[in-house]
Amino acid sequence: MPNPRKPERETITICAYCGVGCGFKAETIGNEIIRMTPWKEGKANHGHSCVKGRFAYDYWCHPDRIKTPMIRGSIEEPWRKVSWDEAFDHAAKELRRIQSKYGRSSVGGVSSSRCTNEEIFLTQKFVRAVLGNNNIDNCARICHSPTQFGLSATVGTGAASQHFDSILQADVIMVVGANPTEGHPVFGSMMKRRIRQGAKLIVIDPRRTETVDSPHCRADVHLALRPGTNVAILNSIAHVIVRENRHDSEFIKSRCEWQEFEHWAELVGSEEYSPDKIGPIAGVDPEDIRRAARIYSTGPQSTIYYGLGVTEHSQGSTGVMCLGNLGLACGMYGREGVGVNPLRGQGNVQGGSCLGSWPHVFSGYRFVTDDATRESFEAEWGVELDSEPGLRLPNMFDAALTGHFKGMYIMGEDPVQSDPNQNHIIAALRNMECVIIHDLFLNETSKFAHVFLPGSSSLEKDGTFTSAERRIGRVRKVVEPLAGYQDWEVTVKLMNAMGYDVEYAHAGEVLDELARLTPAYEGASFELVDRVGSAQWPVNTTAPEGTEVLHTEQFPRANGLGTFMLTGFVPTRERVNEQYPLLLTTGRILSQYNVGTQTRRTANSQWHPEDVLEMSLGDMQARGLRVGDSVTITSRFGSTRLKVVESVRVNPGVIYTTFHHAESKANAVTSDLSDWATNCPEYKVTAVEVAKVRSPKPRHAESSVKHAAHREREAKEIWT
Amino acid sequence: MIDDESPNVAGDVIDLERLIVMANQIGDFFAPYPTERSREGLRNHLRTYWDPRMRNALLAHIDAGGDGLDLRVIEGAQLLREKAADKSGYYGPPQH
Repeated sequence: MPNPRKPERETITICAYCGVGCGFKAETIGNEIIRMTPWKEGKANHGHSCVKGRFAYDYWCHPDRIKTPMIRGSIEEPWRKVSWDEAFDHAAKELRRIQSKYGRSSVGGVSSSRCTNEEIFLTQKFVRAVLGNNNIDNCARICHSPTQFGLSATVGTGAASQHFDSILQADVIMVVGANPTEGHPVFGSMMKRRIRQGAKLIVIDPRRTETVDSPHCRADVHLALRPGTNVAILNSIAHVIVRENRHDSEFIKSRCEWQEFEHWAELVGSEEYSPDKIGPIAGVDPEDIRRAARIYSTGPQSTIYYGLGVTEHSQGSTGVMCLGNLGLACGMYGREGVGVNPLRGQGNVQGGSCLGSWPHVFSGYRFVTDDATRESFEAEWGVELDSEPGLRLPNMFDAALTGHFKGMYIMGEDPVQSDPNQNHIIAALRNMECVIIHDLFLNETSKFAHVFLPGSSSLEKDGTFTSAERRIGRVRKVVEPLAGYQDWEVTVKLMNAMGYDVEYAHAGEVLDELARLTPAYEGASFELVDRVGSAQWPVNTTAPEGTEVLHTEQFPRANGLGTFMLTGFVPTRERVNEQYPLLLTTGRILSQYNVGTQTRRTANSQWHPEDVLEMSLGDMQARGLRVGDSVTITSRFGSTRLKVVESVRVNPGVIYTTFHHAESKANAVTSDLSDWATNCPEYKVTAVEVAKVRSPKPRHAESSVKHAAHREREAKEIWT
Repeated sequence: MIDDESPNVAGDVIDLERLIVMANQIGDFFAPYPTERSREGLRNHLRTYWDPRMRNALLAHIDAGGDGLDLRVIEGAQLLREKAADKSGYYGPPQH
C-alpha cells in the first residue's frame, strides 16, 4: 500500500448531512477530494465525525451527476440537452405563460435544507418578488414545521434553546422520538459521554432504539408507547408533575404567564390524563410514566432532545407544545444543561426555517400579513409584495390536482420519494405544465419534470449553514462546480431571465442582504464567521459573536413571558382495524442519509444495501413469516415490498422500516393525514397489513429508476 | 405584477373533503379553550396560515350549510368576515 497522498490544499467547511453541522477539513489535490477529516476547531464536533461525513463524499463526482441543463416539452419526450441560457429562457417563458393563463398564484417554489442560507433566502425572493405570490415552502414542512409552530407558541423562538455542549451539564436527558446515536451520531457520542458520567436517561419512543440500549447508552426509563400517543403520554407526565406539586412555581411566576399555567394545569391535571388512564391507551406501564415525571422534574438540570418522532404526527405541533410546556413548568429554561432542543435531520433545516421559505412568514418568522415587515422587504427588493399567505407544499400538490397550480421550481428536493402518499403526489405532478428541478441527479420527481437545472453539491459552493444548535457556519467551495454554477447563481440567473434585475458579486453579498432583513442574523457576515469560526444566532450588537443559550432573562414574546398551550389529546384518524391491524413507523440508520440520494452513491451502501422491515416474533409467527421472506405491506393508500427480519426492538403490533432506498417505496403506503397546524405529514403512523409474497418478483423489476439495476448489481457484489 | 384573474380555472383550489378534514383538525386543537378564545384561535389560524382561496372555499361551504364541519369550526371561521375580529398574526394561546 502506498502512503496516503499528501494534499495540496485544505479547505474548512461543514458536513452537509445531519443537523449537527460538524466542521470538516476537505483535503484536495487539484479538483479531486482525497480526504475529509473532522476539524478539531469545529464547535459542534470538536474533532469528531461519523461514518457519513468522514467517508460518504464521493457522490459529488458520481457518474450519475448531471452536468448540462435539459428541457423537454412533455414528460413523455426524452430530455434534450441545452445551454444554460436556453434553459433559463425556456423556464422563464413557461412560468410567465402559465401565470398569464392560470393566474399569478398558479406557480410557486420549494427550497431544500441541503442548500445554503443564501440559496434558501434567494428562493424566497424569487417566489415573492419575481413570481409575485407567497407560494414558497421548504422541506422543513415535512419534518420540523411543527417545531417552529409549537416552540414559537410557547417560548417565542422556533429553535433549540441550547448549544450542543450544554448537554455536558445535564443531570437528566429526555429523548423523545429521536435516535441520536444513529441519526445524529456525533451529538449522540457526546450524550453517551454524559451518560457515562452518571446522567439519567429517559427515552420516549415506540421502538427499543440504539439510544435505549446499546454500548454506553442505557435508558433508566423507556416508554415504548404506541405510535400516535405522544401527546397523551406527555400530558400524563405533566399530570404527575402538577398533581405531585413538582412544578417550579417561582420560575413560572417570574418568567411565564401564570394564568395560562393555571388553565394548563387544570387540563393536564384532570383525571383524563392520569397514568392509570393513559398507560393502557399508550401501551406503557403507568408506573413508568410516574418514574419519568419524577426523574425529569427532579433534575436539577433536565434537558429535552426530540426529533421527527414528535413532529411527524397529526398532533405534531401539539406534541412540540407539550415539550415547551414541560420545560417551562419545571423551570428548565435559560441556563446551561437544560432546555428543549429539536434534533434536525438535514444540514440546514434550521436555516431553511429561519430564512423565509414559508408561505406565511418572511425570514425571521415575521408574518407576510404584517404591513411594517412587508414594507421593509418591499423597500429592499423594489417591488410590491403579496400580503396574503400562500400555499404550503402539500397544498400546492392538492391545488395541482384541481388544476389551480401548474408550475413549480423545486430546488434540491425529491417529493415523489420523500413526500407522503406517493400516488397522490405523482397524480399532482402529472397535472402540472412546468416542473423545474434543480438538483444533482435525476431523481424520482424528475420523471415528471420539464426543465432540469444541474445543481452543485455543498462541496462546490460558498455560503452558510445554520445547524440545529442555531450555529451559523461557513460552507466553503472545495472544488469547482461540475455544471459551472453554484446553486445561488442559478437562482439569480433565473430571476434575471424573468426580468428581475439583481446582481451579487459573491454569496457573501446575499448574506449581507438577508442580515439586513432578518433580526436574528443582523450581525452575520462572511467576515464574522471567518474570524470567529461560527456563531449562534441571535447575533447582533448586544451579542456580536452570537448567543449560546436562549431565554436567559426573558422569552422573545410581546410581554417577555413564556406561556402554556392547552394540549388536549386527539387520537389520529389513522386507526388500526381488522384489515390493517399493524402500525407502521419509520426511521433512519447511521450509515445512510435520508432518501439516500447521496449516500447510496458511495461505498457506505455496503453497510445498508437495502431497507428491511422489522417485526416482532409473535407478529411474524401469526403470519407464517420467516426471516428474509419477501412481504407485501399494504395500507389504505398503497403497497410496497420489503424483506422481513425478526426484531426485539419493536413491540407486537408495531412494525418499522427505514426509507433510504427508492425501491423500498415506504411512501407508497404512508397516509394523507398531516399535522393540524402545519400540514407536516403523519409519516410515523400508518395502519397496515403484512403478507408473504408467494413468488417474489426480482426487486428491481418493481422500480423504474434507471440506476436501480446498477445498484442491484452493486448490492449483489457485496452479498456474494 | 401580473393580474391575478384566472378565468380558465373553476372550482375549489383544494378538494373540499380535504379542507373539511383540515378545518376540523384545527377545531379539535382549540376545543379545550373557552368558547370565545377557541373561536378567536381558529379564526386567527385560518387567517394567518391558509391561502385566501382556501378560506373562501371554506366560507362558501359554510354558506351552503357547512356539511361535515364541526360547529366550533363554523363559528370560528365566520369571524373571518367580521372586521371587529381582525387581528394581526401572533404565536401563542388565543388572546381575548
